[in-house]
Amino acid sequence: MSLEEFKNRNVGQQTYKMVQSDPTPKTGKEQFEQVVRRAFKGELFVGLYVTLREMINALFRGEMHTIKYPFEKLPISPRYRAIHDMLRLLESGHYRCIGCGLCEKICISNCIKMDTRYDENQRKEVSEYTINFGRCIFCGYCAEVCPELAIVHGARYETASEQRASFSLFEDMLTPIDALKLQQEYDGFGAISPNADQNIKKTPLAY
Amino acid sequence: MTSRVTKKKLIKVTIDGKTCKGEFGDTILKIARAHNIYIPTMCYLTKVEPIASCRMCVVNVEGVEGMILSCQEKAVDGAVITTNNDEIFKQRQNIMKLYDVNHPLECGVCDKSGECDLQNKTMEFEVSAQSFTTKDRHRPVENWGFISYDPTLCIMCEKCVRVCTEIIGDEALAISAGGYNSTIINTKPNGECSECGECMAVCPVGALVSSDFKYSTNAWELTQIPASCSHCSAVCEMNYEVKQKSISNPTEAIFRVTNNFEFSSLCGAGRFGYDFENSNISKDAQAFSKAQDAFKGAQTIRFSATISNEEALMLQKLKERRGIQLVCDEAYGYQSFLNAFSSITGESLYSSNLGKLSKSRGIIIFGARINDDAPMVKYHINMASKHHRARVAYMHPIEDGSIQNIITQFIKYEVGSEEGAAALLAHTLLDEKKVPKKIRAYLDDLDIGHLSAESNIGEEELSQLKRSLLKKAGFTLVVGADLYNHPKAANIAKLLGIIELYSDFELLLVPPATNALGVALICDLDKEASGFTVGYNAQGDFTLSALGGGDLDMPAMNQQEGTFTSLNKQVVPTNAALPYGGYVLNDIISALGHRSEHTIDYTKQLPTGKGYSTIDFDSLPNYYEITGAEHRGYHLASQVCEKSGFIEPVSALPTYDGIVLYQCNEGNQFSPFTYKTKQLNSLPQLKGSQQFAAISKLKEGERVRFALQDIEYLRVFTIDTSMKGTVAINPTYDMGLSAASVSYYRFFQPKFEIMDGNNE
Repeated sequence: MSLEEFKNRNVGQQTYKMVQSDPTPKTGKEQFEQVVRRAFKGELFVGLYVTLREMINALFRGEMHTIKYPFEKLPISPRYRAIHDMLRLLESGHYRCIGCGLCEKICISNCIKMDTRYDENQRKEVSEYTINFGRCIFCGYCAEVCPELAIVHGARYETASEQRASFSLFEDMLTPIDALKLQQEYDGFGAISPNADQNIKKTPLAY
Repeated sequence: MTSRVTKKKLIKVTIDGKTCKGEFGDTILKIARAHNIYIPTMCYLTKVEPIASCRMCVVNVEGVEGMILSCQEKAVDGAVITTNNDEIFKQRQNIMKLYDVNHPLECGVCDKSGECDLQNKTMEFEVSAQSFTTKDRHRPVENWGFISYDPTLCIMCEKCVRVCTEIIGDEALAISAGGYNSTIINTKPNGECSECGECMAVCPVGALVSSDFKYSTNAWELTQIPASCSHCSAVCEMNYEVKQKSISNPTEAIFRVTNNFEFSSLCGAGRFGYDFENSNISKDAQAFSKAQDAFKGAQTIRFSATISNEEALMLQKLKERRGIQLVCDEAYGYQSFLNAFSSITGESLYSSNLGKLSKSRGIIIFGARINDDAPMVKYHINMASKHHRARVAYMHPIEDGSIQNIITQFIKYEVGSEEGAAALLAHTLLDEKKVPKKIRAYLDDLDIGHLSAESNIGEEELSQLKRSLLKKAGFTLVVGADLYNHPKAANIAKLLGIIELYSDFELLLVPPATNALGVALICDLDKEASGFTVGYNAQGDFTLSALGGGDLDMPAMNQQEGTFTSLNKQVVPTNAALPYGGYVLNDIISALGHRSEHTIDYTKQLPTGKGYSTIDFDSLPNYYEITGAEHRGYHLASQVCEKSGFIEPVSALPTYDGIVLYQCNEGNQFSPFTYKTKQLNSLPQLKGSQQFAAISKLKEGERVRFALQDIEYLRVFTIDTSMKGTVAINPTYDMGLSAASVSYYRFFQPKFEIMDGNNE
């Protein structure tokens, strides 16, 4: 539709289609006939049948559509930015976070804080990590900047709490070690692009 | 070498179309930087000689084929220089590509990330992939005490080696050359170097990092607080870098200390001894009212010289108003010494400073264990030695192995014979110089043979000293704390005064404590405390303490703002790095009726009669220009004094037979404040030679008790095989509030009481 067409508000000149409908009954007799015709046409039973069928399907054939929230939840799009998850490496089970501090730096509402230390294995260990969800605006920058795909937005979207500021610590967000099998790779905000493999330049090796 | 005196010829060069002026002998890079023209460098460090290992600073000069290293090439008058074009860019890009070969991609955890030269230049020259390769090998991280070295991150720029040699003078680091396998090796790894951390400061990448700071936070999370180091009288420029302690403890803490390493240096105490704050202090109103009562009833205020100029002025004003005596044991001797010195020279201050010292060609160190007393002075002597081949004579009763590599002559004199040594020195240095008849007569009257025998300084040693200084220009005589509390200090000062006045030597009287010079100039000190005494960071009947545990808590120097008077005769500002919740000295003084809102209101009231200026604290600058020009506070103006001094004849020199102890805080320790810090945790021990052990009959590990000036020391004796002679070294830095009360001549003969090993 061109702009000019779009702007034309002269109703009646466009190609509208009128809905076909029965003529309006004029006399009392005609009105009575219309009521009787509509009441005994059998459409009532069609409707009742549909309801009955759905009831039977839901109750006996396992096709219930009602979600018993909060015991059941609808799956959510990976693009949705809910409470963060901290992922683990699938091979070793070690958390992916290397403590680089980029999420802390990029966070525009300044709600991420982390403490790191030099651990016994000469690695940078994240000794404490917290997100203040009272301030978090769920912009997704942290997930996008994370070089290790360690912090992602999960599916936990209920953010109501008794306090204005509710904090999450590292352990709260980290995939439980026994649930490592169930850990999902994240396709949403900040995930690697589908053509990532093609963009990789290999480092030449001398051996 | 007369180039020092003559004015340098001015030259003009054109850099990128801009006409730039410089002096003859300036490098292209120096002129470019002075005119705000950017030339990238990786290995260039202003304070050392050009290293020329990176070749990033290449430029084109019209009429010269090929590229020229701007860091070491002197500019020629009229030269037309191009600092950047496609060819140069490509050249630099290739250098960066080579630097990046196999550089571990661990920026995510590297401490240097965010302030890394390699990271910045890799971005700048658009190196996004590695196109060369070489076989890498396993190179484990080495731990050098305060510092850890990761060879895989090292880019071999040599900065660390150069500062260790040219600035610090430890010569601990060296290069193990081997192409791609080159590494830095530490020849003194286990705390044998002075542990100044200078190599770490200049490292452009994360190869040399602090073991304590490592991985504790990212550089960009820290807030930099420009300050001045309060551990010794050099009062070096530095930044405290603060951040909240942890998530669970949101109080601020100092994470590290950085400095302007391009132009200035720090010793280990400044760099690693930063967490001496008096923490978790709140306002204790009861203690505060007791403190007011104590001040009202006080006859004496005794304080340590680790104090700001402003606080010293407050105390001085209190003295003027209330007639309270002021005792500062650390500064009293220095003040008397300086006064006696001025009575000869007619100037209120000595004439040398660190800048002049580092350009001297002949240096004599007299009466100081310089490496331990004032490391910064030692660094400048080393710079003179390395950059100007200075002759360095070290006069002291104890040999010091740590500066052996920079001294050209060691002159040992007997303990107690400093007056004789000063007279001999005056006689030697003023020989053939134009001096007034009276002084010539005095010098001629000296019984050189007798003095030489008594002080054990050979006449041939002195003539060797004299010969070594021939045909040189620019001399400095560094005078240290041994002399200030000497029984004959006044006469020594006068003898040194005539050296200052009539010889080519300029004197540097190293103040014995942080702000000893400031206290000496601002306060009118009394020798002895009497009556009820209030101690401020010193012993007293009522104590105000920044160390904690006193009757009223006070902020430590990293929690205060104010100014110090440095040995450079400079008034330098420092800022509060950490919050402090308690009362400060100004609160007490204000409560006593001498109201002033802030401590720093006193900055502009500092006595102009002593050379201070009436400049507001907030107008004091504290930064360096890109050319290295220093803008820190202001310089004191030397005042003209009355030349009323009269040099007395040298009296019979005292003898110290048998064993002697020397009060000296070794290494990175200076005071109870350095001892309080987490990283500087050396054990205070009585250290003596084998000979000392034999004479004193002390055994290794034995506990002894001895007293000096009512201060009781309890020490474990250890034998240090590197020492010689009958003098042992006794530290005072662990003595808490008593440490500031040492006003005695540094050498003394103790009465040992050997304690039973099992007895507590």
